[in-house]
Amino acid sequence: MAENDRRNQGYRGGRKRRYRDDDDFDRRPQRRRYEEPLFVQVRRQLLTIAESAARRVEDDIQSIAKTVSENYDDEEIRRDFVNISLDLVLEQPMKIPFIAGAVLVAHSLKPELGSEVLSKAGEALQKYIDTGAWREVKLLIRFLGILQPVYEGEGIFPLLEELFARAVDLQTASSEDLLGLELVKIIQFTLPYVMLSPATGFEAQASALLEKTDIIASTPHALVDLVNTFSPEEDKSAAGSSIISLMQSQLQGEASRGWELKCLPRPWKDISDSETDELKSFESVNKVPFPEITVPNPVPNGPHPLFPEVYLSVYANQEIDTVPSTSDISSSLIRDALVDTINLLDFNRVATAKFLIDLDCYFTPYTFIKRATPFDRMRDIPEEQRAWKPEDVAVDAVFSQLFQLPAAEHKLVYYHSLLTECCKIAPAAIAPSLGRAIRFLYNSLQTMDLELSNRFLDWFAHHLSNFGFTWKWSEWADDLDLPAIDPRMSFITGALDKEIRLSFAQRIKGTLPEPYPKLITPGKEKDTPEFKYSSDMTPYSKEGQEIMQLIRKKATDEEIQPVIAAIEEQAKSQGVEDPKVPSTDAFVTSLCFVGSKSLSHVLSCIERSKDRLLALGTESPRARCQIITSVMEYWADQPGIAINIIDKLLNYTILSPLSVLEWALSESIAAGTILSKAHIFEMISATVGKVTNRMRQIVAARTQPGLYEPQLTAIDETLVRERADMQTLFKFIEDSIVSVAAGSNDEQMERGDGSGDLPEDAIIRQWGRRWLRVFRRKAAVEETFITDALANATPLGTVAPERENAAGGDLDIADADGQ
Amino acid sequence: MSLLSINTVDRLDRPSAYYVSKNKRRRFNDRDEEKPEDPDDKLKNATTLYVGNLSFYTTEEQIHELFSKCGEIKRLVMGLDRFNKTPCGFCFVEYYTHQDALDCLKYIGGTKLDERIIRADLDPGFEEGRQFGRGKSGGQVRDEYREEYDPGRGGYGRAYDEQRQREEDEYGAGR
Repeated sequence: MAENDRRNQGYRGGRKRRYRDDDDFDRRPQRRRYEEPLFVQVRRQLLTIAESAARRVEDDIQSIAKTVSENYDDEEIRRDFVNISLDLVLEQPMKIPFIAGAVLVAHSLKPELGSEVLSKAGEALQKYIDTGAWREVKLLIRFLGILQPVYEGEGIFPLLEELFARAVDLQTASSEDLLGLELVKIIQFTLPYVMLSPATGFEAQASALLEKTDIIASTPHALVDLVNTFSPEEDKSAAGSSIISLMQSQLQGEASRGWELKCLPRPWKDISDSETDELKSFESVNKVPFPEITVPNPVPNGPHPLFPEVYLSVYANQEIDTVPSTSDISSSLIRDALVDTINLLDFNRVATAKFLIDLDCYFTPYTFIKRATPFDRMRDIPEEQRAWKPEDVAVDAVFSQLFQLPAAEHKLVYYHSLLTECCKIAPAAIAPSLGRAIRFLYNSLQTMDLELSNRFLDWFAHHLSNFGFTWKWSEWADDLDLPAIDPRMSFITGALDKEIRLSFAQRIKGTLPEPYPKLITPGKEKDTPEFKYSSDMTPYSKEGQEIMQLIRKKATDEEIQPVIAAIEEQAKSQGVEDPKVPSTDAFVTSLCFVGSKSLSHVLSCIERSKDRLLALGTESPRARCQIITSVMEYWADQPGIAINIIDKLLNYTILSPLSVLEWALSESIAAGTILSKAHIFEMISATVGKVTNRMRQIVAARTQPGLYEPQLTAIDETLVRERADMQTLFKFIEDSIVSVAAGSNDEQMERGDGSGDLPEDAIIRQWGRRWLRVFRRKAAVEETFITDALANATPLGTVAPERENAAGGDLDIADADGQ
Repeated sequence: MSLLSINTVDRLDRPSAYYVSKNKRRRFNDRDEEKPEDPDDKLKNATTLYVGNLSFYTTEEQIHELFSKCGEIKRLVMGLDRFNKTPCGFCFVEYYTHQDALDCLKYIGGTKLDERIIRADLDPGFEEGRQFGRGKSGGQVRDEYREEYDPGRGGYGRAYDEQRQREEDEYGAGR
């Protein structure tokens, strides 16, 4: 009987996530395992804590605590319990309340266990504070916060006070400070968990701390507008608030309601209520001191640059609320736990997606309505029974990260793949939620930050490519009558182009309802675009064809040169200002045509003609500009290929970044209408990205430790030069677009009657403003990055300390630099 | 930033079971030779990925479009039929950094390209000759003996195809 029970239990536990347990811990074949060792059972119970809605998590918590405390002498079990608990705190934040619950119960059964967990957690916390890993600090403090009843005296509060004191120092020192805000955020996101804990009588401390954080949290940081999803300039009402300012008022509300904290689970509650004889109340257990933590002064900056964070919900303003409103603290608490889970577990998108789908397991029961309840059905649920829609809350959290400014924590494609995975696990539940998110984003296209609307575009096309390119296009059919430069029309054309790039034109055409197919022009369906010199109507057609044949035959430059010269001769006689322009056109167009078979074909063509193309850059800037024109024109119907070739030409330094900008923002600006084209934004962003990446590499080289003269000066010279080049680049963008935004661009003025009142003029000016916002932000972010990095760099003139003298006077210098 | 030596869930940026077992086999055979090297060592700084289960019709441009989401691509080598020199359903993608290659395993491996779930595996690096299929008829080995019809990869397995062809011919001749 006993045997049977045990096996049964083992089976029940093993049913879930068997793949994970077996892979990680036990590779022995199933048949031989006739009784699972105890430590394996504890591991599994811990790792899967709260994962199943079918079992009471309270039972698991008690069973874990019991096993561990009864087998306190088994070192393996003890060590696993401590380590895995902390690992979970750091990797699966949604489980923190449950892990803390298990530790609370274990502590009351065996106080030594609690002390062991605390000392290990304290060590880890100290390490993370010293390295400035603030997310890990936040999670460990949250965990320690729930353990508040086991501490002597005020427990965690002195640490929170100390962190606050550092925040004040930082804020007083500089109004631009962001690290102080991060510390305030940590305090804010700890308080609810301390108040949630079984400890009582700390309301006064919490309120006092809350009063203090108010001034810092409620003062808007200068950078908030810069990273807002919606430019306040375009739509003041849509612009979101910073997370810490929202959290501040939510906390104050919560304090006034006696810390209700409805959504957070309290798995220890039932346990302490029921098992009074065996379990001592958490309040009366052996008290232990809070782990000793020293907070360095000043606190260090972590490896990740900090920016203010803005709260974004793609489900705002629906007729029925499916996600908590920003007045409800649940919005911040759930979002915070989800966002950390998402960003910490980027190495397994499948597991992360599973956590997102199962999110209702990790909060108070009935915080969410039943999974996969259709939106329309929510209307029928009586208001008092209504709760949040779990899929919407999950999807909202992923979008908040995909749309993080100035940059997402991981590559954007991670968030794409995560949404894809969620859709694969629960298609019926997730797909409709995504649909509503897409509609919200589509309707916000005009006011959304331009960089974000391009991220949306890229995600949208990539997502559809994973699901057979099915989308209800018919609902936007009326928008096809909008002018081509309207943001919605620009989105539709941009999205179709991206779909084609991932697939092919015919396939995409087949997925589109009327009247969309007309957008896929015959030109897009052609694998090889026409070679314009095939037509006798094209000037220099004879020479053009000759050059093409020569390139195809892999002829030498000497063989090609006479034909080039012939074009230039003719052009000169016809009074063409720069004869190199028509000859370059013929040459580059031929290259594109011969290389049209694939990217590697065109690359090998470019490789062979590298010298000629490189020489053009120095000989004639107009000819260099023509290189871009020829490529873009040849591939006009498939702009993705064109910008890819431009990208490679930049790598070969045949083109300079500035020449690409000049081509787009001056030569081809077309009264500003070019700004509405998604692929142009993509090309310019990529070009600027190349420059800023290189700049960051130089900064990394300049700031590496152990660098001395004369290398210091050499690298510094490069840095100064390239920094100036980068500034020129940003200045050029600014100068070119500022006139479009103001409506004073020459070509704009010449359009129509010059009044600037054409219906499209307002749209063009808006494109200008949105472009400016993106590139001003990029410029500011890069400048800040360089300035911050150089602040800690070895000063010029530092020479390497001599080995022998190391113990002498030089040591002081070396020490000073090391700071 | 984690302190952890093992993660609480599996990592997707590890070499595949195929790669590990392939190396294990080799290790077993070469038992008497020098100490076998750890298969992970060769991949420690790998920047190349083997990409499999592509459609024969998937183009370089499509691959580029998807894979550049994980970083700039240094080189793209299409897998070709040894005899026809036509794409035969795999390729090598080389990035500039190891991190980009790992991110590709995590974020792109197992997702769809050209409406097929593609496979990505960390690779010690492309060498001349590896771009060709090693199957008897020139393509990949897996396409020789496939019993299901896969329109993206030349229909039925080629070995079966040949057999079917032969049977058909003989039947015709007998009649």
